[in-house]
Parts: sequence; structure tokens; C-alpha cells
Amino acid sequence: MNFLHPALLAALPLAALPIIIHLINQRRYQSLRWGAMMFLLAANRMSRGYARVRQWLILAMRVLAIAGLIFAISRPLASGWLGLATGGRPDTTIILLDRSPSMQQSDSKGGDSKLETGRRQLVQALDMLGSGRYVVIDGATRQPGELESPEALLKSSASEPASCATDMPALLQAAHDYMLANKSGRTEIWICSDLRENDWNADSGRWPALREAFQTFAPGVRFHLLAYPQTAPGNLAIRATAARRVATSDGAALAVSLKLLREGGGAGRVTVPLGLELDGVRSQTTVVMQGSEFELKDHRIPLDGRRARGWARVSIPADSNGADNDYYFVFDRPVERRTVIVSDQTDGVRALQLAAAASPDPTLTCRAEIVPPEQLAAVEWEKTALVLWQAALPVGDAARRVAAYVERGGQVVFFPPRVPDDASMFGGQWQAWAEEPAGFPITAWRGDQDLLAHTQSGAALPVGAVQVHRYCRMSGEATPLASLRGGAPLLARLATNRGGVYFCGTSVDPADSSLAHDGVVLYVMVQRALAAGAAALGNTRDLAAGDTPPESAAAWRRLAGPAIGLSTEFAVQRGVYAAGEQLLAVNRPLAEEQAPVLADRRVAELFRGLDYSRVNDQAGSLDTLIQEIWRLFLAAMIAALLVEAALCLPRSQARPAGRAA
Amino acid sequence: MFPDRQSRSFLDARVLARLAALPLLSRKPMQGNVSGRHPSPHRGSSVEFAEYRKYVPGDDLRRLDWRAYGRSDRFYVKEFEADTNLRCCFVVDTSGSMDFGSTGATKLDYARTIAGTLGYLAVQQGDAVGLSCVAGGLLRSIAPRRNPAHLTALFDVLEQTRPQGETGLAQVLHELAETIRQRALIVIISDLFVELEALRSSLDHLRFRKHDVAAFQLLDPQELGFNFRRPMRFLDMEGGPAIFAEPNEIAERYQRALGEHLAGVARLVLESAVDYHRVVIDEDPERVLTRFLVRRASARGGQ
Repeated sequence: MNFLHPALLAALPLAALPIIIHLINQRRYQSLRWGAMMFLLAANRMSRGYARVRQWLILAMRVLAIAGLIFAISRPLASGWLGLATGGRPDTTIILLDRSPSMQQSDSKGGDSKLETGRRQLVQALDMLGSGRYVVIDGATRQPGELESPEALLKSSASEPASCATDMPALLQAAHDYMLANKSGRTEIWICSDLRENDWNADSGRWPALREAFQTFAPGVRFHLLAYPQTAPGNLAIRATAARRVATSDGAALAVSLKLLREGGGAGRVTVPLGLELDGVRSQTTVVMQGSEFELKDHRIPLDGRRARGWARVSIPADSNGADNDYYFVFDRPVERRTVIVSDQTDGVRALQLAAAASPDPTLTCRAEIVPPEQLAAVEWEKTALVLWQAALPVGDAARRVAAYVERGGQVVFFPPRVPDDASMFGGQWQAWAEEPAGFPITAWRGDQDLLAHTQSGAALPVGAVQVHRYCRMSGEATPLASLRGGAPLLARLATNRGGVYFCGTSVDPADSSLAHDGVVLYVMVQRALAAGAAALGNTRDLAAGDTPPESAAAWRRLAGPAIGLSTEFAVQRGVYAAGEQLLAVNRPLAEEQAPVLADRRVAELFRGLDYSRVNDQAGSLDTLIQEIWRLFLAAMIAALLVEAALCLPRSQARPAGRAA
Repeated sequence: MFPDRQSRSFLDARVLARLAALPLLSRKPMQGNVSGRHPSPHRGSSVEFAEYRKYVPGDDLRRLDWRAYGRSDRFYVKEFEADTNLRCCFVVDTSGSMDFGSTGATKLDYARTIAGTLGYLAVQQGDAVGLSCVAGGLLRSIAPRRNPAHLTALFDVLEQTRPQGETGLAQVLHELAETIRQRALIVIISDLFVELEALRSSLDHLRFRKHDVAAFQLLDPQELGFNFRRPMRFLDMEGGPAIFAEPNEIAERYQRALGEHLAGVARLVLESAVDYHRVVIDEDPERVLTRFLVRRASARGGQ
């Protein structure tokens, strides 16, 4: 039970007044010399069950009546929100809103989505509870925005649906930063989320730090979690896994690979009409799906031979979640994949040149050239997709050129020089060579993502088969992608704002490793880096919503997509955008597909040690989260008074004994 | 009016004067020593014809009815009713409970008035009057006498007696049934707060001894009404333990217990042929006594 005015509960001891009065009354007895004692003794011996119960009932009803009145004026709230508002009106209320696509799932009747329901529930609850200040931090921008009143949340762009995932630890960090920066006082943090694992990152190392930070927040902070953990079995999601323009005998066609996912599996056959929209022309094809996944490979859509680039949209009919029913993609003539190998020796990098120049697709052109470090000025950086650097790390002007190249989205893989120096690049630095004729075995590598990820068929790369006889140690804040025994990184990625920077601890020289001899790993590695660089270089890009900084999306122009969100939020809204000459397709992140829901126990662990309460709601729920139930207590008080009055009435008028015989 | 010219608080001369017109009659034949106003079991010389009886040798020839002899040629003796006086014995309960009174006077005061007034009336009509004061046992006892000077002693005892102790009425009545000569008028003045079975036994004993038993049950209005509002601590006037009670809670059961007792008394007196009068002590004693005397006179007239 929660109360809007809990301070008034201090008057609750007044409910004991009837008992106190009763006791005082009992002490104020009169003594009387009495003759007819035998009747009093007889009366005492008689069954007095009802009379005694009646007395106690009357007392209880009086106590109940007073307690009911006190409860009523304390304005009790009825909700599953245990422990709510018992501390009274907070100084600041921060709303953390999960706007991810999974929050747009609605109930089976097609009513309000989880986001709309949560928003409405929050407005009603906060309107009732009150607060000194309202701040909303949404999962897309993570920018705190003050609200004049809870109702403003309904009109705020920060509560509109978005296509990006929510980084819940980052949201909480933003809330903590806001609390520190603004002296928020006693704060309540309301989290509205559907508890998807990809949004909450429960395994992230940021959670313990956040818990500690909030625990040490002196004015006190309380967490309320409004959870929508229901999944939508049978919900279909569509995604385009690849789209490329191919030349055909008739001219050109667009080869699209699509993937359909059905949530919760299901063995039944489903006929799904797929809608394809290309240059405003709609076409439809029907596929029959069985199981939880269906993939359509290289579905060809005829294309005007003169049309080199454009965008398309694939969609399925509406179901419980409208946010995953369409997917946008863009296409263009494939650009030449140019690789620059920076090395002062030509022979030692021949294997790199071969790996970079061999095209995986006949429609693609790959070219690799070897450039000495001193001739960097002649390199056409804007046309280069990948730089393989096997020389001393660049310094001065060369370093600035490489940094600018990476900033544009270019990919660089640094290989160690023969003689490491003290130069550093992106925080990484070569140390010294280590040698072991018997070889250093590669014991661990990241097969789930990045350069050494498994192939599309799911097979692992034969990274373990690569022999490393010499490797150069490196220093710097890097994420290892492959490690030697003992934990020394062989391949590591350094974080940058854009682009990829990798440090490979050995060279392709046969004296150093068998990378060149067992060419599969080297080829895949180089081609993946090349593809990523080419994607950044081309005039079309497929982006995951939220990956692009919002400020870089300010100049975008929307070509297609749902008409929601402000122009400043284009980076988090799915659709097709024009950024200068580039065509950009923004879609929901891959991690949003069928993300499992975090178990209740895990959620509770995340808030361990914090003042935390949780209530589960469901999309489309019409029940208000919190209801004032003072009328109920008033009615209870009246009922208690009526019962008391009825009990006080003489049961049957005790007729005095007759006066005459 | 009074033998010793001394006024008594429990007697009112005007009431006595008014009640003097009403005879105190017994409901049964009495065995008195002298002539009086009450029927006797023996034949006597009153003017009231009783019966004819065959002459047997030894009968007084003066009582032969010569006219009957003339008509039937047989000897008959004409007999008349005998009138005699009675022995009236007052049994006054002087236990502690008789000290209760919410009207300004106690039950014992009321008992004094009844006993004193009836005693005076009895002596005035030539009957012998005795008195027994009863509490835990027989405290004081005065044998019945009919001379007016005896009234002084009786009044003195009534005046001096003080309420105290428990009630041993039933045992004392057994004792009196044996000690008082047969055929007396026994007037019991008590609140009858005793065990009914013991009382039944003693009344049956009195009836067996052919006594005419009358009983005045004195009750206080507060004892009947039990109208208390605040919690009360009732102290036993007969020395028992005190009882703390919430009147609202106990009143109903008290009334039930009192009602059952009074109903039991009413049933008991009916079965034991007791001339029973329930008296609430806020009632005028004159009216009570008038009612008593008139009822007895009526009963006599109906015989």
C-alpha cells in the first residue's frame, strides 16, 4: 500500500483512541454495595460469548472507522508498484525510455504498443505522484530533456518510436551524470523497457560501477521499472541481408537476399506476401515459410539498365510489431576496391598484395598497389578502401593523412616493422619482437564478429592452424580479436570514431608466420577489411540505426521511411536518406532481431543493493498503473460506523423483572 | 396509641388508624387460647351454627335441640363454630442484603414497617405476636404474646436489629416450623435471595405443620431495573467477593437471572400455598398492607 501523503499516517495511533477510552472508562468505575449478588454471579456464569464478541466488535469497528478516515486522507494508491512514493514527492523524476523497435510490439488485438502504453501509464502515474522536476532521457539520443509536466511526454519527440537499440547502462550513466550536474536532490528514476537482453547488456562491466555510483548518491535515488516482458510469438520480421546490382543480358537487375524470422519458432507453414518497392514501383512475391527462419537468396528484380543507383524497400503485412515489417536498402554500381600496401620492401608483402587483389566476385574489381612510406603524398586517399601498413608507424604529416583517412571511414591494418620504434598511432605502439621456433599457438579468437568471424555458412575460419613463429608485442587500449597462448594479442582492433584500425602482431613473411602459406585466414581477413572500407567509400551505405552520431545526420534528407521523428533524429529512424552524394539506408540493428527477454532474476541482480521496485504491465493495458482508492477507505469507514451503530443497538430490550407478583 | 407512648420511626399512627378497620384474618383454622376472630378446628359457643350431632351420653343436656327431638324423636346436640385468637409470628430477614435501598429507605426499614404495623393490628384484635430476626441463623426471637405491653419489646427488637451477614432463612424456617406450636400465622419478610430448593423444603415444612404462611418479598427498584451506565464494582453486602462488571455487557444476563429467580419464587409459593406479595420498596406500605389485609379478608369471605 502506498500513499500520496504518507506523513498523515503518523496520525494512525489515533485509531487506538476507542481502546484507550474504553480502558479509561473501565478505570473510572464506581463502587456500590449491592444486595442481589446472586444474580450477578449467575449472570457471570452464563454464556457470555456473544456479549463479549459484541463488545470487541464494537471496539474493532470504532478503531476501523478512525483508521479508515486516516487512511483515506493519506490518499492511498492501489497498484502493483510496491514501495512506490512512500518517501513523498521527489525533487526530480527522471524517465528512462526504451524506444527500441521491440517496444513497438502491440497486443494481439492490435491496440497500443508497449511504448505507447508505457508512455500513457507513466504520464498518469507521474501526474498523480507529482515531482519538482521531470526529465526524460530516451534510449536513442541519451540526451536529458526537461519536461514542463508529465503530459508533455506525450508530445515529446523523445518518446517517439525509434529504430535503434537502447543501451540501458549508457542511459543510466546519462541519468547519473545529469543527477550530478544538476543537483537533482531526491530522485526517482522510472525505467520503461521491454527487458530485451541486447538493450540491457546485463553482462556489461558497467553495471557494478553504476550500482556503486547510485548507492553513493547522497540525496537518495529510487528505481521504478515498468516492464513489458511479453513476447509476441508468431511475429514476423524481415531483413535484407544483401542487395547488389548485377548486370544481366537484359540490362541490369537487383539481386536481393532476404531473411524472414518468426518469433517463438513454430512449425506451421505460413504464406507471407513480400512487398518490394523499387523506385516507387511496387511488386509482390509470395513465399511459404516453415519453421522459424526463411531465407530468400538473390531474388532478382529487373532494373533499368541505365539506373546505376537507387533504393528499395521490402515489407511484409502488418503483425504484432510494425517496426520490423519493412527494411530499406540502397544499391549502386560496385566501386573499385583499391588497396594501398605501405611497405619499404616489395617482396615481403607480396602475399598481402595477392590477397587484396584477388576479387571474391567477378563483378568486383580489386586492385592493390605497394607504396613506400615516403611516397604517401601520391596516394589517392579518397579512392582507397584499405591500407595495409607494414612499416614503422607513421609520424608527422603521414600520421595526419592516415588519421584523416580513417576518419572518413577507411580501414587500416598495421603489421609490425622489422625494427619497432617508439612511434604510436591511435594509441597503439609496437614493442619488441618475440621468437619461438616451435611456434606460438593461437588459442583464442573472436568468431562472432569482425575480421575473424565465422563464414556465412557458420563454419569457423582455420585460425588455429596458422603457425606463428615470431610476433611483435604491442601496447595500447585495444580489443583483441585473436590471442596467442599467454594472452598476448595477435590481432587487435583499436577504437576510433569511424573506420577500423587493426594491429596484426605478425607479418606475412614465412619466417614470421604461415599467414601467407595458409592463405585462407589472410584472404578472408583482408577481404573483409576491404569490403568494410569499400562500403564507407561508396556512394551507398547501409547503416544500423543509432550507429551514426546524431550531429552527422543533421544534413541528411529523408527519401523514404515512416514520417516520424525530427530531422535531428534521422540517424535513429529507419528509412532512406540522402547525405550529399551518398544514399544511406538506415535500419534496425541486427541485435534487435528476436532478442531474448532478460530473466526476472537477472534484472533483480542488476539493481541489487538499490532501492528498486518493479511492475509488469502489458501492451494495450487499459488499467491505470496507479489508482487513488481513498473512496474505498471512506466507504469502509462508513461501513464500520454502520456496523458499530447496529451492534450498539440493544439486541432485544432487556425487560426488567415484574414489579408485582 | 402505643403502649409505651413512644413513637417509632417505622410506624405511622395515621396509617395504623386507617388500617385498624381491616381485620387480619387467617386463611386456616387456628388454635388459640382465648376467643378471637379466627376460626378454630374445635366447636365452640359462637353464634354461628356449625352442625347437628347425635347425642352421646355425657353431653351437656343444655345443648340438646329439643325441637329436633320433637320432630324426629331422636336426641341431637346442636353445635356452633368456635372463634379463637391466633399466634402470629413475624420472620424478618436481617441479612446484609436487606440493608440495600436506593429510594432513601432500606429493605429492612420497609420490613420493620410491615412487621410493626401488622403486629400492632394483630395485638389490637387480641392475637399473639412473636418475632424472629434471621440472618446467618436465628439472631433474636420473641415468643408470641397477646398483651399490648409485649408490643414494646417487639418494637424494640425491630428497632435495634441491624442488617449483617448472610441469609440462613431456609434453615431458620425449618427451625421455626418445629418450635412454633401448630396452626400459627407465619409472616416472612425478606428479599428471598436464597436458594429456591432450600426455601421450597422449608415452606413445605411449615405447611406440613399447618401454619398459615404469608411472605413479603422486598425488592429495590434498582435491583429490578439494573440501570447503570458506568462500569461498576459491586461489593457484596453479605461479605462475599466483589464483582467488577460492565453494566451494558451484563445487564441482559442479570435480568435473565433475576427473572428466572422471580418466576421460580412465584411457582414455589403457588405450590406451597404461600400468601405471597412481591413488594417494590418505593411503593407506599399502606397500600401494600391494605392489599394484603383485603385479600385475606376476601379469601375468608369466600370460604
